[in-house]
Amino acid sequence: MKRNNWLSLLEGKYRVEIISLCVIIVIWGLLADFVVKELYKLPGPISVFYAFYKVREVIPLDIAVSLLHFSMGLAAGAVVGITIGGLMGWFRVIDRAIDPLIEIVRAIPPIAWIPFAIMWLKLTHYSAGFIVFLGAVFPILVNTYAGFRGVDKVYIDAAKVLGCDKGKDLIKYVAIPHSIPYTAAGTRIAIGIGWMCVVAAEMLGASNAGLGYRLWSRFYLLHMMDRLVAYMIIIGLIALIMDRIFRYFVEGKILKWKKGTVAV
Amino acid sequence: MNHKLELRNVIKTFNSEEGEIKALEDINLNVKPNEFLCIIGPSGCGKTTLLRLIAGLDLPSSGEIILDGKEVKGPSPDRGMVFQEFSLFPWRTVIKNVTLGLKIRGINENEQYRIANEYIELVGLKGFENCYPYELSGGMKQRVAIARALAMDPSILLMDEPFGSVDAQTRNVLQEELLGIWKRTKKTVLFVTHSVDEAVYLADRVAVMSTRPGRIVECMDIDIARPRKRTSVEANEIREMLLMRLGSEYQKIR
Ligand SMILES: Nc1ncnc2c1ncn2[C@@H]1O[C@H](COP(=O)(O)OP(=O)(O)O)[C@@H](O)[C@H]1O
Ligand SMILES: [Mg+2]
Repeated sequence: MKRNNWLSLLEGKYRVEIISLCVIIVIWGLLADFVVKELYKLPGPISVFYAFYKVREVIPLDIAVSLLHFSMGLAAGAVVGITIGGLMGWFRVIDRAIDPLIEIVRAIPPIAWIPFAIMWLKLTHYSAGFIVFLGAVFPILVNTYAGFRGVDKVYIDAAKVLGCDKGKDLIKYVAIPHSIPYTAAGTRIAIGIGWMCVVAAEMLGASNAGLGYRLWSRFYLLHMMDRLVAYMIIIGLIALIMDRIFRYFVEGKILKWKKGTVAV
Repeated sequence: MNHKLELRNVIKTFNSEEGEIKALEDINLNVKPNEFLCIIGPSGCGKTTLLRLIAGLDLPSSGEIILDGKEVKGPSPDRGMVFQEFSLFPWRTVIKNVTLGLKIRGINENEQYRIANEYIELVGLKGFENCYPYELSGGMKQRVAIARALAMDPSILLMDEPFGSVDAQTRNVLQEELLGIWKRTKKTVLFVTHSVDEAVYLADRVAVMSTRPGRIVECMDIDIARPRKRTSVEANEIREMLLMRLGSEYQKIR
């Protein structure tokens, strides 16, 4: 019976994916053992698996710290991005007044701010959070802006005829609901960029804890490449999981009225 | 004379990049209470512009629009409007589309739902209350739009080619239902169309507009007893007269 259970995996819905993954791991192992043959350049799958075991005690804390940095930055990015994006989309004057500033700051890669983050915020959690904020705020801002700006005139007219005579009502009943799919699409991009920023900020000295910090300062600098690969895998998996959760939540629950159009 | 709606020397010009566009020139029109008035004219002649002025969504460049003795100064729920394009809020369900105006008016929630359900039933959409607009056909969307307008109990119902983008079969059904609703609710209806058939089937009176700048060149009473037959001899005669009048307008475009 046991044997049968194992074999049933090869007949299941995901059999192609599972076989493909196994083949990739085997090729990786063969490459590492027979072609590269240098642990520093390419640790094999078995040593990486073992590395997971060796670092198992620090993994939860590092994930927690990185997620803390990430959520601080993303939350601040969402609040600022939605507010400013909405205001810019609704009021032409505000748009013209701050657009030049936004365009310039947006063009600077967030990582270039790391020195200032350290100067201003020292080695607190805010420092890495600030870098995440810079990475997350613009996709949310720009998309929310598009959502407010792009409201079809007929919806505004329809709302006016129904008695929405104040700007506040028009924003509440038309502009905000209209912009939610846009903001959601922006947030999804922000999650990806924000996660990159966490790792980069922690690696480049804006933090003395977290996945990125350990990957660089504890593993790379000591050339423990097997553990480093283990952390790379963790970082990738978390990004994947966050994206899936977000999509499930937003597409399934919030955007029932707009089936299947949020995928970016 | 007590008119429901009175338009006095209404002129509308738009300022665009190519200079001034004169959309409406000296419109004079009186609408009686409970009247079903159709406005017909070639496309681009200013029919939508005229309804938007009455709705208060735009202001006339000069002239006056008087509804129930008061001058129209801006949009208000006492003029219900059904738009040419689909105008349901896609993020609200059918029932929530209908309750929005009532909610803004400050009516309590139970009452909102009671009224909304009543009008949803009136337009024959019972059972679709919790659907989102994307789940509805074009004809159903316009029915919801009618329910949404009527739920506010407007003094006049403005309809801008509401059945322009539904198929001919559905269109006939909707026209019939609209007449039923009109009879029951006793609203004054201003119905814009570019279809002579539609005007002759629906209206008490038809106002014919000229090509741009839009003027009302003729008002014609449709004295056909209701319920009407689309193919009756009288209907054909009136249709022919209207087509001739309109034909000379189309001639000018060419
Ligand atoms: N906001 C506007 N700005 C400039 N021109 C407009 C505007 N709205 C309508 N027009 C012009 O006014 C004319 C009448 O338009 P409209 O009322 O939509 O015609 P209809 O509904 O009869 O097809 C058209 O030539 C149109 O281009
Ligand atoms: Mg029109």
